[in-house]
Amino acid sequence: MKKWLKIFLFSLLGLVLLFLGFVGYGYYNYWGKFPVDEQKYSHNVEYINPDEARLNDGFKLCNERRIAQYYNPEKATYSKGKNRLRAFIMKNYVNKGYQDSGYLNIRFVINCHGKAGRYIMHENDLDLNPKKLDQDMVEQLFQLTTQLKEWNPNFIREEFYDSYMYLSYRIENGEIIEILP
Amino acid sequence: MVKLLKYCLSLYLVVLSLACHEKEPELDASQRRALAEEVFKNGSHLPQGSPKSMTRIEEAIKIDTTYAEAIRELSVAYLKRGMPHKWRPIMDRAVYYDAKTWQPWRGYLYLWFYRDYEKAIADFNASDTLTPHIDYPQGHSVDFWRGIAYLGLKDYENSIAYWDKHIVKETNDSGEDWVELEAFLYRGIAHYESGNTDKAMENFEKILQYFKVSADAKYYMAKIFLERKQHKKAKKFLEEAKVDFKKGFYNNRPYVEALREIYWEDLEGLGTSIGN
Repeated sequence: MKKWLKIFLFSLLGLVLLFLGFVGYGYYNYWGKFPVDEQKYSHNVEYINPDEARLNDGFKLCNERRIAQYYNPEKATYSKGKNRLRAFIMKNYVNKGYQDSGYLNIRFVINCHGKAGRYIMHENDLDLNPKKLDQDMVEQLFQLTTQLKEWNPNFIREEFYDSYMYLSYRIENGEIIEILP
Repeated sequence: MVKLLKYCLSLYLVVLSLACHEKEPELDASQRRALAEEVFKNGSHLPQGSPKSMTRIEEAIKIDTTYAEAIRELSVAYLKRGMPHKWRPIMDRAVYYDAKTWQPWRGYLYLWFYRDYEKAIADFNASDTLTPHIDYPQGHSVDFWRGIAYLGLKDYENSIAYWDKHIVKETNDSGEDWVELEAFLYRGIAHYESGNTDKAMENFEKILQYFKVSADAKYYMAKIFLERKQHKKAKKFLEEAKVDFKKGFYNNRPYVEALREIYWEDLEGLGTSIGN
């Protein structure tokens, strides 16, 4: 092989190695060097375990590894708007003599096609301490929430995404005072 | 035998060197804080709520257990994702270590994420004595937030009193044109809901004086004109409100619904009431 060709190839190899070194160093500094406490944080905090969730059978996500948050632009929203969501719940909810107060938070996933599934619930008192609420009331609100079928999926950079969503019912003496967020 | 002796001697030297190794000097409070800040801020680009981000915040807090800014940041992912039972104890810890900064901030979160007006007001009130100045959690004064919280409670007298205080202060400090449009909007709504439509109208007009487009101001003005049986004016303002609404000029917030947020159905409903 001619000498100049050897020099050229070795120089090229050097440059490639240098470039890879830079990329590797950048990746390490940006991501790789940060450890993970696997015991405490095996997933993102919002992770819903499909095995522990309700209405997950047959519920398909577009990308299990990339689930956004409802508030990422553009927001995931109820297809008929928050006002109609509220109207639907308030019209159909019946206080059957419930006395409980607290927050019932129902978290779920809206897939990139706007379908909802994979629900879990958190029951808390008004001071946000975990507390079991009246189970008939909880079940009624769960059933109503799951009747909200059509959602606008999250939309980021010209693409529809799966996203986490939640509804929080602030309840005082069995009456719904607020539906958040 | 000689070899064995050599090995024993080497092992002895290793043990000796370890035993003589000086203990790392203990860091004082400011050094711990500096180190904790470095760990915390170095990973600020990591996605909120991700294992890497949460681990790195915990690491910073482990270095300085009083580092309230990091403690508060640890709580945020839970707040935004609808997990209040995990948010509250962490946020309370941030308030414990730095009440001056985080108590009014917690009030803001109680106000918007939980609509717990009483807890919000308690935190805003606490800030009155915690600092000699008026606090501005999330960019607005505690008086501004109290005006909203009291409106949420339908305590119009207190709501209006705090709006008056806020607007006078901002006007004196920077001029009326620097006052937030929401201040006039919510003061107007408080007057409207308490039955003082003249005062309400003054506030809605003030919004349009400084900013020509506001679906909220025009919607409420249309309502007032309708109540005054001035149908033509009501219709005109409602039509303009619809145009502004479609352009996105209506009161709303990221993450959560705004208090008294208006919807297209509200505009259509008012249109039905006005008729042709």
